Amino acid sequence: MLRYIARRIAYLAPVWLGISILAFALSLLAPGDPVRQVLQQSGIDAPSSEQVIAMRRDLGLDDPAPVRYARWLSGAVRGDFGNSYRTGEPVLRSLTDRFPRTAQLALVAIVLGLLIALPLGVVSAMWRNSLTDQVARIGALVGASIPGFWLAYLLIILFAVRLRVLPVAGASEPRHLILPALTLAVGAAAGLTRLTRSAMLEELSQEYVRTARSKGLRERAVIVGHALRNALVAIVTITGIRLAALLGGAVIVETIFAWPGIGKYLVDSIFNRDYPTIQGFVLFTGTVVLLINLAVDVSYVWLDPRVRLGGKSR
Amino acid sequence: MIATKVRDPMAEIIAGAEVLAPRSRRPGALQSLLGQRVGTVGLAIVGTIVLLALAAPLLPLADPTKVDAARGLAPPGAGALLGTDNLGRDIMSRLVWGARLSLATAGLAALLILTIGVGVGMIAGFYGGLLDDLLMRVVDVLLAFPALILALAIAGVLGPSITSVMIGIVTVAWADYARVMRGQVLAARERQYVEAARAIGARNGRILVRHLLPNVLPPILVLASLEMGGLILALSGLSFLGLGAQPPTPEWGAMLNDGRSFIAAAPQLMVYPGLAITLVVVGFNLLGDGLRDAFDPRLR
Amino acid sequence: MPRLNLVRSLAGVMVALVIASACAQSSPGSPASGSPKVELADVQEITVASAADGYRNDDKRTTIGMYPLNANVFDTLVTLSPDYQVMPGLATKWEFREPNTYRFTLRPGVKFHDGSAFTAKDVVWSIQRIAKQGGGTVGVDAKSAVAVDDLTVDITPKRPNLRALQQLVHPTWSIAKAESDTAKPMGTGPFRFMEYVKDQRIVVAANDDYWGGKPTLRKVTFRFIPDANTRVLALQAGEVRISDIPKESAKTITGDFSVSRSKVGAYEAIYVNIRGKQGYDIGADKAIRQAIAYAIDKKIVVDSVWQGNAEISQTMIPAGILGGEASRITGTNRDVPKAQKILEDAGWKAGADGIREKNGRKLSLSMVVGFPNADVHKPMPEFAQSQFKEVGIDIKIVVTPDTATYEKRLANGEGDLWVEAGSQNDANPCFLPDLLFSSPDPAGDQESNMYGNAFAIGAAFDAAIKRCREATATPDVQKAAADAMKLLIDDQFVVVPLAGTFRIAGISNKVLDFVLHPAGVHQRWDGVKLSK
Repeated sequence: MLRYIARRIAYLAPVWLGISILAFALSLLAPGDPVRQVLQQSGIDAPSSEQVIAMRRDLGLDDPAPVRYARWLSGAVRGDFGNSYRTGEPVLRSLTDRFPRTAQLALVAIVLGLLIALPLGVVSAMWRNSLTDQVARIGALVGASIPGFWLAYLLIILFAVRLRVLPVAGASEPRHLILPALTLAVGAAAGLTRLTRSAMLEELSQEYVRTARSKGLRERAVIVGHALRNALVAIVTITGIRLAALLGGAVIVETIFAWPGIGKYLVDSIFNRDYPTIQGFVLFTGTVVLLINLAVDVSYVWLDPRVRLGGKSR
Repeated sequence: MIATKVRDPMAEIIAGAEVLAPRSRRPGALQSLLGQRVGTVGLAIVGTIVLLALAAPLLPLADPTKVDAARGLAPPGAGALLGTDNLGRDIMSRLVWGARLSLATAGLAALLILTIGVGVGMIAGFYGGLLDDLLMRVVDVLLAFPALILALAIAGVLGPSITSVMIGIVTVAWADYARVMRGQVLAARERQYVEAARAIGARNGRILVRHLLPNVLPPILVLASLEMGGLILALSGLSFLGLGAQPPTPEWGAMLNDGRSFIAAAPQLMVYPGLAITLVVVGFNLLGDGLRDAFDPRLR
Repeated sequence: MPRLNLVRSLAGVMVALVIASACAQSSPGSPASGSPKVELADVQEITVASAADGYRNDDKRTTIGMYPLNANVFDTLVTLSPDYQVMPGLATKWEFREPNTYRFTLRPGVKFHDGSAFTAKDVVWSIQRIAKQGGGTVGVDAKSAVAVDDLTVDITPKRPNLRALQQLVHPTWSIAKAESDTAKPMGTGPFRFMEYVKDQRIVVAANDDYWGGKPTLRKVTFRFIPDANTRVLALQAGEVRISDIPKESAKTITGDFSVSRSKVGAYEAIYVNIRGKQGYDIGADKAIRQAIAYAIDKKIVVDSVWQGNAEISQTMIPAGILGGEASRITGTNRDVPKAQKILEDAGWKAGADGIREKNGRKLSLSMVVGFPNADVHKPMPEFAQSQFKEVGIDIKIVVTPDTATYEKRLANGEGDLWVEAGSQNDANPCFLPDLLFSSPDPAGDQESNMYGNAFAIGAAFDAAIKRCREATATPDVQKAAADAMKLLIDDQFVVVPLAGTFRIAGISNKVLDFVLHPAGVHQRWDGVKLSK
């Protein structure tokens, strides 16, 4: 078990380095002189050349890129991502301020999505081609096809403006979480319903299910105890991927609902050439995604008897 | 790598109604009928929209870029079937012309994504070893990277245009396909036709192109159809952020974005492009489901 | 464009829109006033929608309660009236002292929110704080502010700048308590700072000891909602009482609120690059600039594109600041035959597709949109594009996602036409022309000279700006500023002003006595009341 996890970590280490290089390289790509931005944002409207040169030196921007990368990475592993050009505050603090919000939204959306998708997918597979199945499939199809921001506005107009049962936007009360989470959950639920249904169909057609049935096991036990359990491997995998994507920040939904997560902040940072923030956020979310991948890998040990520890299964 | 099959990010997309079900012992008339119906409906939707898009120059439509600001926000009716936008442009005409750009962009992006993804996946899967390790780590880096950020950064360098948005999306999105394709090739490599080809001394390149590719092609077509829907959604999302098509070119995402501030009072500005996007994505998803049923090698 | 047709279709649209918006209109500048009959609500608390949170709070710069929205926690020495006049604030009077000093007499008996007395040392400290950051627009250094006595301060900019008085109205020059912690804003304004939650809200409460009188509102919550459309929906849902409204859709938005407009405080203009790099150098031809100026219908921009939420402007700044001098700038109005003749005479002949050509080069211009952001211009660029096409000019619109990309293009000279929305936040009539069109500083780098490199028209303009900076009497300042702008607009056609734009806000019908200031950073909240 531990050896398995160690092997996974050994595999992911170079991937993590790759993410850090790419995160750093973003600053070499984008146009615009960050120094000018820093100076202007500290209240200097027309920075002089001397100020620009001095600031460039102070920020160490005159060093070659590999030197800057090494300096940045050695700081980053100790939790020091530098200070934001835009707000002046330490990048780590803006991360710790915002990431919990994004995580909250992503987790609620994923849980909501699973609460919709699992029962719907299972029932849909059990009663294949019934009316319920048809409705579930059409629902999943439409849910997967609606542009997210369009849905967001429609939900606001319906629940907040017309019915006035939920707030339009904000983040000060738990109620504020409902609409943005619902918006994100619709997309997640649609995909997961389709997946659950097909995975269940596959399992239900397997030999062991017939055997279990013929042994006289109750249908519920067959479905939940065997088929669903085996289908979970695929479901967990996709849930992990969905969650990872949401943790990168749901920019559009966060913007529309004024949710103070990392998505909007990160996009603003890109637009403002706030490199310390961009690099810090990208490295951090990349790390989180790798950790989720690791967690999904580890979950196979419990979920899938076919994953033989130490063996290569393909 | 472990359990490659379930690690496929695309499993979610591939796993529609029937994909993994063909092993079902009772394919039944009802099922195949439904499969057919799904595919037929999808084909009808996509076909109609593609035809409309292709025929746009021949149709009796108003000039989609013809501005008549004084006639802005006309309600649906004679003259303009779906009304006009705030600059007095015919919404119906912009929708039809917009389909051309939206479909062409998504189509080209899908083609690029699949070409790169399939190419890399096949090479990694076929040759294995160090090359495989290297390519798959690049794939893992891209998959762990916030895609939107990379796309935005690329659009920042190249300047905002539909091309930069496309490059941004392609740069990130091929990784998923490389992973799927690698899995497919790993599975196919063990099959008889590859071994047979090898036995008669066929060279690697020839085996890849002549023997492996045709066998992995059907799932690719299925993926392409499903990917189209996702791409159209992604492009409309980037238009929301002000990237993408530049005015006055009609494009669905941009129309949706421009119509935002009229959502309450002149809903036609936002409802029609939103419906159009949803409809065409539904169409591609149905078509993908149908194609999968028709193509799935495990059905044969 | 056939005039009758235009009027008729306009009327049709207007009827539809007016019916749709029913009673949602109130005439500009006359908000429902608190007549004695109106009964005030028991709870005087209000929530206001604000755009994205742009505050920062660190040693370099603290903007809490100042910028971009003004929560009225601080006062300035002098204030800006909605008519762009300098009014007393913490200073009751001021005098100019040769060669470069303003002497301010401070208001006696003013207290900070912690009860301590406001004196000259607080002014000196506040000015020195800005000096440490580079000196701001006024150009101050550590020695600029001197306390003459407890209630008298001299401010002497480090370079000759007689416009300092007009610049000190800007909330950047807010007076904070000496040695106060910038994280706990301590001012003298009508509202005390209560709470700031990043990206969510700023809350302020009434300062009952305010020298200008006790505010009726007990509490104001400013909520940050970055998406303009969500702000409007929040207003419609009754979640906020006051919100800005996009000018292109203001008339179509309805609900339990009225729409209020400020006077003109901002302008929309197209600048033409006269020194663009290869591929972007057509603007050097004056005929092109002139044709552009005559190609666009400012009346339709104002009436239809922005639904009446702007007025035709021939100057770059609110005409009021220029006094009578504004009328000397004649500007241009749409005259298609004239534009066509100018192009024809200059050798630009129409090609097969209607786009003009000269020596094998197409009359194709790129129009860069992105300052301060692309959304504020909507949908003007697309409208202009269609109008330019009618005189044979092809326009490619380039929307930059952010100002950094915009400025990079400008510094590189990559673009022919530049669409900008400027806003006048102080009372200095030559600030914007000076900032944007003065000749580049020979010692400056490419980017600090970006506007000058693209648009500066040279010595005559620079001389007018110098006169404007150094004049003492208001009429002389106005005359010099008008001279400078006349050169830009009427003589060289480098600037094509389109419209002066209003601020537009939706205001709940329960809100009384809210006067929308044309410059958002000067908005006052202390007179506002809520009715039952």
